[in-house]
Amino acid sequence: MSIIKIHNLHKAYDQDEVLKGINLEIKQGEILSIIGSSGSGKSTLLRCINYLEIPTSGEILFHNENFFTSPKNIQILRSRVGMVFQSFNLFENKNVIDNLILAPLKILKKNKEDLRKKALETLDMVGMKDFAMKMPKTLSGGQKQRVAIARALMMNPEVILFDEPTSALDPEMVGEVLDTIKSLAKTGITMIIVTHEMSFAKELSHRVIFMNEGIVYEEGSPNEIFQSPKLPRTKEFLKRFIN
Amino acid sequence: MLKVFKKVITFAILFGIIITVIPRSNALDNTEIQTDDPIIIDAIENIKFYSSFNYQTLTADRLNRITQDFYLPANYGDVQITYTIDSKYLSLSQEKETISLRQGTDYVDQEVFKVSVKTLPNVLVGEVVFSIHASLSYNNNIDYHTFQGQVIPVIPDDFLGGSLYTLVRYGKMFLEGALLTIGISLLGTIIGFILALLLATGKIIKTTELDNKFQKTLKIFMNKLSSIYITIFRGTPMIVQASFFWYGFGLFGDPLLCGLFVVSLNTAAYIAEIIRGGVESIDKGQSEAAYALGLNYTQSLLFIIFPQAIKNSMPAIGNEFVINIKDTAVLSVIGIFELFNQATKITGIHYRQLEAYAIVALIYLFLTYSTTSILKLVEKRMGMKPLELTSSN
Ligand SMILES: Nc1ncnc2c1ncn2[C@@H]1O[C@H](COP(=O)(O)OP(=O)(O)OP(=O)(O)O)[C@@H](O)[C@H]1O
Ligand SMILES: [Mg+2]
Repeated sequence: MSIIKIHNLHKAYDQDEVLKGINLEIKQGEILSIIGSSGSGKSTLLRCINYLEIPTSGEILFHNENFFTSPKNIQILRSRVGMVFQSFNLFENKNVIDNLILAPLKILKKNKEDLRKKALETLDMVGMKDFAMKMPKTLSGGQKQRVAIARALMMNPEVILFDEPTSALDPEMVGEVLDTIKSLAKTGITMIIVTHEMSFAKELSHRVIFMNEGIVYEEGSPNEIFQSPKLPRTKEFLKRFIN
Repeated sequence: MLKVFKKVITFAILFGIIITVIPRSNALDNTEIQTDDPIIIDAIENIKFYSSFNYQTLTADRLNRITQDFYLPANYGDVQITYTIDSKYLSLSQEKETISLRQGTDYVDQEVFKVSVKTLPNVLVGEVVFSIHASLSYNNNIDYHTFQGQVIPVIPDDFLGGSLYTLVRYGKMFLEGALLTIGISLLGTIIGFILALLLATGKIIKTTELDNKFQKTLKIFMNKLSSIYITIFRGTPMIVQASFFWYGFGLFGDPLLCGLFVVSLNTAAYIAEIIRGGVESIDKGQSEAAYALGLNYTQSLLFIIFPQAIKNSMPAIGNEFVINIKDTAVLSVIGIFELFNQATKITGIHYRQLEAYAIVALIYLFLTYSTTSILKLVEKRMGMKPLELTSSN
């Protein structure tokens, strides 16, 4: 059963074509890693999936349905597809727990007390329960990212998109965030992860795609991609990560 | 921080003390007439005292503002009058003298007693009441009547004395003006801020690909309207705006309301630009995170972007309040007696410009300095970056 289908997706900024026809199908419960060099269009692809970027052409189906039909439908899609950003993007004017409950409160219109309870449970899951009343600016990068993951989970998304969730972190904090994502993987949620953490991608994902210059250049199982890449660009790219 | 606070408070207390020790002027009515002899009643009701200045007649009001010698008539028709005065500021001559009063084109002689001013009370003492006890005799009928007046301090010739005099004597007017200035500035800034939220929204709202034709037209219209408003109000002097709305339309039929309206509209234009800048300086990731969760544009603006933009803009908005304290002086042009206009009014009383304007300058300085200090304190408490004071004029 596929949850997301991408047909011939193109995205151009003015004359600059960044995505040059992406075709991709993601199965329910699948963990897909996207690797590739800087500027190859990984973020753009991810951001097209929840329409933070508007595709120039092509089609994205979620449960076989196109949601790019009205602002209302786009919001519905976004509430069902979570996103975790490289730069965390916690709401600076709200404390941790309010970061978590804002969206479900306004969109799902749930009871505030129930939401607070759920928020504390979710924070507990990412090991941030003690920080519920803290303001984002008092947290470390790793802590912020774990809160951001908890915030995405509060909407009960069916898919979570991760855009380089550990790239902005100090090395000693990468581990805690990767561990959080790993524990999430066990719940069976669908995840699409753009990452430069190759061993993490290898360990966690069911499938890996290598993007190059706006196309899906090579795809396969983690073993196929990391042990025996077939195409020259993939080999070249991975060589840099072996050292 | 505490030091600044202390300074502000000491200044305020001093100002308050000076204002409160001011003697209140209470114009005095002359005492009731007790006799029933019609001729004497006529004399009491129509008797005239004369100033030593051109022998002008002293009306009841002028008698309440005695600063120089004056004359008491020794008779009113056939009624003979003698006087006593109990006042340490005045002395009554027992010798009659004759003065010639102008009546139409002629001069008429009048016998009088001279009252000399020995000294005048100083401004801290204020007005001092004196009584003139008159005994009126006619046909062996004697009646008594008391007239009351006041000696008042005069403005000293030197600058320091003149300033002290002006401050003490007209402190209440300065205080009223200062309160009005603060009131209009504060209210104007608050109303302006609320209007500015609408204007800023109008200015930043963007059309998106999924908007229908109506939404697109509406958004573009709002963009244009806000831009035009901001351009007009920032591009014309407030004194012109005030005159336009008051002398042009007599808006609200009350210069005070009209002035408040103008200050609010003017401030709104400036704060709108401040907030727009604040919104633009918020990291794009904030709204993207909101959208990614499924929040819409309005929700993102309301719950995420505006709260942050406003917090960041607070120092600049506070600065607008300080600017308003100064700029509301132009409202004197439409006859609002705010601080500056009160000073102008006071200069007209003694024809002494320097003292009144010097005092008013100090009061403005006190208001802006203390407001800035308090705002800085609040900003620091709330963890905002304070802004250095700049001014439009
Ligand atoms: N808003 C934009 N306007 C113009 N060009 C853009 C915009 N966003 C991205 N690009 C361009 O699109 C290309 C792909 O960007 P994208 O961010 O998707 O790359 P990426 O694979 O995520 O790279 P990285 O690993 O550095 O994050 C880049 O060349 C970038 O300069
Ligand atoms: Mg990227």
